[in-house]
Amino acid sequence: MQISRLNRGDGLRRAIFGLLCAGAALFLIFGPFFLSAYWLRILTQTFMFAVLAQAINIIAGYAGYPAFGNVVFFGLGAYATGVLVVKFNATFILSMMVGIGICLFFTLIFGLPVLRLRGHYFAIATLGLNEATKALTDNLTALTGGGMGLSLPLIPGDVETNSRFFYYMFLGTMALCLLVTHFLMRSRFGYAIRSIRSNERSAEGMGINTTRYKVLAWMVSAGFTSIAGSLYAYWMSHIEPAIVFDMAIAIKAFVMFLLGGAGTLLGPILGAFILETVSTFAWSHLLNYHLATLGVIIIIIVIFMPRGVVFFLQERFFLSSLVKKIREERTV
Amino acid sequence: MLALKNLDSGYKPLQILWDIELFLEKGEWLAILGSNGAGKSTLLKTVAGLLKPFQGEIWYERQEIGSLPVYERVKLGIALVPEGRRLFTGMTVRENLMMGAYRQNGNLRNTEQLEKVFDLFPHLTGRQKQVVGTLSGGEQQMCAIGRALMSRPKLLLIDELSLGLAPVVVEKIMETLVTIQKEGVTLVVVEQDVYTALVYADRGYVLQEGRIVKSGQAAQPLSDPDIQKGYLGGIVRGHPSAIHQ
Amino acid sequence: MLFLQVLVNGLLSGGLYASVAIGFSVIWGVMNLINLAHGSMVILGAYITYYLNASTGIDPFLTIPVSGAVLFVFGYLVQKYLIGHVIEASVLMMLILTFGLDMFLMNMNLRMFTADIRSITPVYAGLGIQLGSLRIPYTRLGVFFFALTLTLALYLFMKHTKLGNAIKATSFDSDAAGLVGVNVRQVYALTFGIGSCLAGMAGSLISVMYSFSPIHGAGFAMKSFVVVLLGGLGSIPGAIAGGLILGLAENLASVFLEASYKDFISFVLLVAILVIRPRGIFGKQFYADLKA
Repeated sequence: MQISRLNRGDGLRRAIFGLLCAGAALFLIFGPFFLSAYWLRILTQTFMFAVLAQAINIIAGYAGYPAFGNVVFFGLGAYATGVLVVKFNATFILSMMVGIGICLFFTLIFGLPVLRLRGHYFAIATLGLNEATKALTDNLTALTGGGMGLSLPLIPGDVETNSRFFYYMFLGTMALCLLVTHFLMRSRFGYAIRSIRSNERSAEGMGINTTRYKVLAWMVSAGFTSIAGSLYAYWMSHIEPAIVFDMAIAIKAFVMFLLGGAGTLLGPILGAFILETVSTFAWSHLLNYHLATLGVIIIIIVIFMPRGVVFFLQERFFLSSLVKKIREERTV
Repeated sequence: MLALKNLDSGYKPLQILWDIELFLEKGEWLAILGSNGAGKSTLLKTVAGLLKPFQGEIWYERQEIGSLPVYERVKLGIALVPEGRRLFTGMTVRENLMMGAYRQNGNLRNTEQLEKVFDLFPHLTGRQKQVVGTLSGGEQQMCAIGRALMSRPKLLLIDELSLGLAPVVVEKIMETLVTIQKEGVTLVVVEQDVYTALVYADRGYVLQEGRIVKSGQAAQPLSDPDIQKGYLGGIVRGHPSAIHQ
Repeated sequence: MLFLQVLVNGLLSGGLYASVAIGFSVIWGVMNLINLAHGSMVILGAYITYYLNASTGIDPFLTIPVSGAVLFVFGYLVQKYLIGHVIEASVLMMLILTFGLDMFLMNMNLRMFTADIRSITPVYAGLGIQLGSLRIPYTRLGVFFFALTLTLALYLFMKHTKLGNAIKATSFDSDAAGLVGVNVRQVYALTFGIGSCLAGMAGSLISVMYSFSPIHGAGFAMKSFVVVLLGGLGSIPGAIAGGLILGLAENLASVFLEASYKDFISFVLLVAILVIRPRGIFGKQFYADLKA
């Protein structure tokens, strides 16, 4: 891809970028030792959203299928954990595995018909799937506790240890998601996926089984979202359909993914951090105008950075090399 | 009537046209030639206003119009029949033609112009109520030209007239354009079919990779043996009706 | 006779859903813009009616022009000076943009009107037509009547006025529209204004039938999605058909299933329609499909 060809030349810039990343990673890893509980909680939530956003990136950014309703997997993961732990006394790990299993199954069953749709249609279909699942969960009161929700047993241990536990669990999940995405996208799978986004018909014409790859991509996406959901259930100890299937989560994650930069590796992570920071700031200082502020920030970002933060930064800092590359290509 | 000076244009950030200098007298028929990707469509789109020039000037009747939006240029009498015709697919022939007269006020003039268009393209009269998507290529082209004519243009730009059309149909349309030119309309026709383009035109420009590489009287290239070999596939023995005197 | 009542209720609800959805459909069909702020605009219209009614006692139906006018101006300005300035943003980004707008509007609605649930009880609230065991409240009848009138008015406007034709042409090919002299940016601003106006007027109708608060907007936006997809994008008769089908489906479902399954039904319907016939009943192909 053209962007990576640009980066090769700028040695110094890469070094700085690498240092920044390393610094950030160190900061996050050792965070719990010097940050307050308040900040830990915020960061934990940010990691969670980063996972959700990155999961969306896989199906929407790389494969080009905007899954608005991806939060359905979050809810399914949360409820899998909730129901299994509460009603069947299962262990957390088992419940998480089952959650992933359910989501994979869901992707397979619904993915085949729904992934035949393009763009808007697909987006709305996933929206519908989420809402339908939410409504169903609401109604199956015997199993799920219905609208009142489910309360999970609290984890033994003091508050501080627990908060650190979840901090690292979500950080780990985020890191894992990042790594998996990175290696997947460099593999044959990644090329297939990206070709689907560029021109699906051509991809098919070249012999790529687009249906298989689309479903697989959605499965990966669903899997990570499910993990986040399971962890969330355990973390919050109380879940309701209205919360874990909330479109607001879906949209928030989607916005983060887009703001950061669709189809880039770090974009969704960046988007998650930026939006969470703004959100927290707005919540604490401008409580009454919290939503409005968020709305305005989103509007501003779309107007000035219509392709997302990552592309914006790349164009800004690599502008000279970008222009040079285009000039070079023109005369060839 | 039309003059382009140092014109650079394209699709940001990709530049297609480099330093274009061109002029056109009122009542002339100009042919723009060149292979695919040379920038012919870009040129017409820039003159019509669909593209903003990166640099340079577009002079039309003593006015610099480079910064005017599309609909303002229509008001001044510039009409473009775009590549691919771009008809309003869900609307009928009649509705498309009537839309062509959007800039005019009042209905009387509309019917007058509409009659004129049907006179020029009698084939369309019978198909008035048909949705344009169901017309053949030739009929669509006629409808597209008709739509452009509805705005009573002084300068008519046609992009890729013959694309996908049978030679018989192309000839028919060309003859119609001769009539239109006789009524005082200035024409710029972009064509891939070099022979047909030069036979009817007064003058021509050749574009290559976004630059003008040749220009002159239309009859000239026709008798130039290099051009004949390069573009026309061999020596041409006389040409038929290059007559519009 | 219960069945007949359910049928009638379904049709009456359907008429309302149709009117809520047409503004949304017009904007989407013409500008390829999914206006996620639609829900909050509807609610705003409802509040305008509420306050006019509460302060002057004026009949809610008579406030429809006011809410329409206010929302028209609002929508026109938003498109002209805000949305219209976003170039080279993908369709999805525009969605996010309108979502941000919705957040802003919802917050403003909350601040201005508080989160209290409001409703309007006109003088004739409990009265209605009685045909045997069939009961049709005046309020619902009025809403249905106005809904159809609005829809019809829009249809005639699009078909017979110069501006309506310009909007139609722009929806088919915005470049070509420019080439025949249409000021496309202006058309977009007016279209968004009209869509918002319709949302506002639908809001007035809603205030008569349901109780509402700022957070109810999202539900109406969702319903609009379903209606548009059922009936087909860009089609006004489609919006009516879609609305009626949704209304009927919901009411029928509430007979066989518990009332709480109402939402579930509408979403199953949504997904089913998308999978079976994404184009909807009357719709032309998605603008996005054509471009791609």
